[in-house]
Amino acid sequence: MKTVKHKEYPIVVVGGSAAGLTAGITARRHYPQDDVLLVREERQVLIPCGIPYIFGTVGSPDKNLISDAVLEKNGIELLLARATDIDREKRVLHTTEGDVGYERLIIATGSRPAMPPIPGFDLDGVHAVVKDVAYLSELQQRLETSKDVVIIGGGFIGIEFADEINKAGDKNVTIVEMLPHCLALAYDEEFCVEMEKVLESRGINIRTSSRVDQIAGDGKVEKVVLSGGDEIEADVVIVGIGAVANVDLAQKAGLRIGLTGSIAVDRTMQTSDENIYACGDCAEKISFFGGRPSPLKLASIATLEARIAGANLFGIRRENVGTVGVWSTAVENTALATAGLTEVMAKKRGYDVVAVTVQGPNRHPGLMPGAADTRVKLVFERNSGVILGGQVMGGPAAGEVSNIISACVQNRMTAEDIAMFQTGTHPALTASPIAYHMVNAAEMAIKQMSECGG
Amino acid sequence: MQKILIIDDDPDFRLAVRMVVEAHDFEMEEAAAPDEGISKVLSFEPDLVILDVMMPTDYEGFQVARELREKHKLIDLPVLMLTNVHSVKKVPYRFAPDEDYLPVDVFLDKPIEPEQLVATIQEMLGERREELELPL
Repeated sequence: MKTVKHKEYPIVVVGGSAAGLTAGITARRHYPQDDVLLVREERQVLIPCGIPYIFGTVGSPDKNLISDAVLEKNGIELLLARATDIDREKRVLHTTEGDVGYERLIIATGSRPAMPPIPGFDLDGVHAVVKDVAYLSELQQRLETSKDVVIIGGGFIGIEFADEINKAGDKNVTIVEMLPHCLALAYDEEFCVEMEKVLESRGINIRTSSRVDQIAGDGKVEKVVLSGGDEIEADVVIVGIGAVANVDLAQKAGLRIGLTGSIAVDRTMQTSDENIYACGDCAEKISFFGGRPSPLKLASIATLEARIAGANLFGIRRENVGTVGVWSTAVENTALATAGLTEVMAKKRGYDVVAVTVQGPNRHPGLMPGAADTRVKLVFERNSGVILGGQVMGGPAAGEVSNIISACVQNRMTAEDIAMFQTGTHPALTASPIAYHMVNAAEMAIKQMSECGG
Repeated sequence: MQKILIIDDDPDFRLAVRMVVEAHDFEMEEAAAPDEGISKVLSFEPDLVILDVMMPTDYEGFQVARELREKHKLIDLPVLMLTNVHSVKKVPYRFAPDEDYLPVDVFLDKPIEPEQLVATIQEMLGERREELELPL
């Protein structure tokens, strides 16, 4: 382990996951004359989005790691140490391996999994999704001998864990979700229902509209008790309900913490100290839609914020427009992807919306190899015609379609703009130019808007 | 004058908080245990409650939070959970405000700088409590 004593760096980054790494790389790109030191505690850094796949497809935490070669390639120095405090006046970071001076500091300390204080949450066999190789290895070992697995939370983490664990084929896997559907915070009901069918067809039990009242057992978990009194046998419980910003260092240093419990930052990712920036799961977020606080925590958001923080260290070059919310998931051959607001969310926020769904193959003709029946739903604000969001269900390409939708949302494009897309098409690669999903959905929305006098 | 009730079994911490908040023109009341705390919520009618978790060793504060919301229907009473439960229990996860399981408005770890405590209280009292519109 390298020891740094009283050495000064122009740029120091605390945190070595998606945000910290990207912030360091960005800082090197924008300020190539300045040395960058990255301080992190973990010897091995997990790829956060790959964690569910450790338990099935990938097979081991060791196969789901971010390589340190990225640091070397980008000329970033690494110090394996725990950052313990910041002397803001002297601009010194205290670590377990010595003090490090800085001109600019980026805090990217990430998040920790949230644990609801359900009675019995501290029983042996109840696990959170902790981003730690040793912890996940232990969970993996426990799963090898388990028979009944209950997953609390039917969001992305929950369904991906369920499907991966279920692949072993020798377990009863049950998802318990409080909302009426799995993924209900990300998709409109029709998409959630389709994904639930896929999960159930693979043998996964789903209990929606179900609140866990108790995790019961004598020292170790034996069952999960639902609010209606139903009991589900369990020898392992995995809680996947979200994450909480890790603000220990920032709070100790007296940086302002927002009411959401995350480090308060402005649009440039600057904290309440002008020499300290924060990005990723530890930093407070605002929504692209209206600017209210957003609890979303995604690696894609973290890296966007890192690209802002890393570029702004010695002069403002970028600003954060707010979190659009773009993400996707896949079970077997069915992919779901979303960007921006769903129809339900948009209405809840008070938008007058036009929502249009189109469906068809993403190859032409539809018998071409790799063709997947693809459903695209776009949501527009009725008066302006501006796109608010969209959802996609289909094959693996769904993820990239939602990225296109995100680009449309960020640029506040209208249905007319999208209808006038100049698309390239090919039988083996895309939908037909006659039935291109995005364009046809936009055209249908324009028709609906005009019929309503909008 | 706005009123603050602290429910915490640590007399030193209660005193420290009292000195800070009274210096900022808040009226202060204390309770050292969960039952006493709930009684004082009903009698003192605070504008904000600062609530500990481990009183003294277990997770009593979680139950107090649920009782205030569910039994006494104090839905709009701002509750700041201020605790060292994470460091004492050494858990790899974190508790956080949750409408169903942990109905508090803000969750912060001890120790806390006086300035931050005051800023948080003022923010909680000064602004309309905004619900996060999940997931965006």
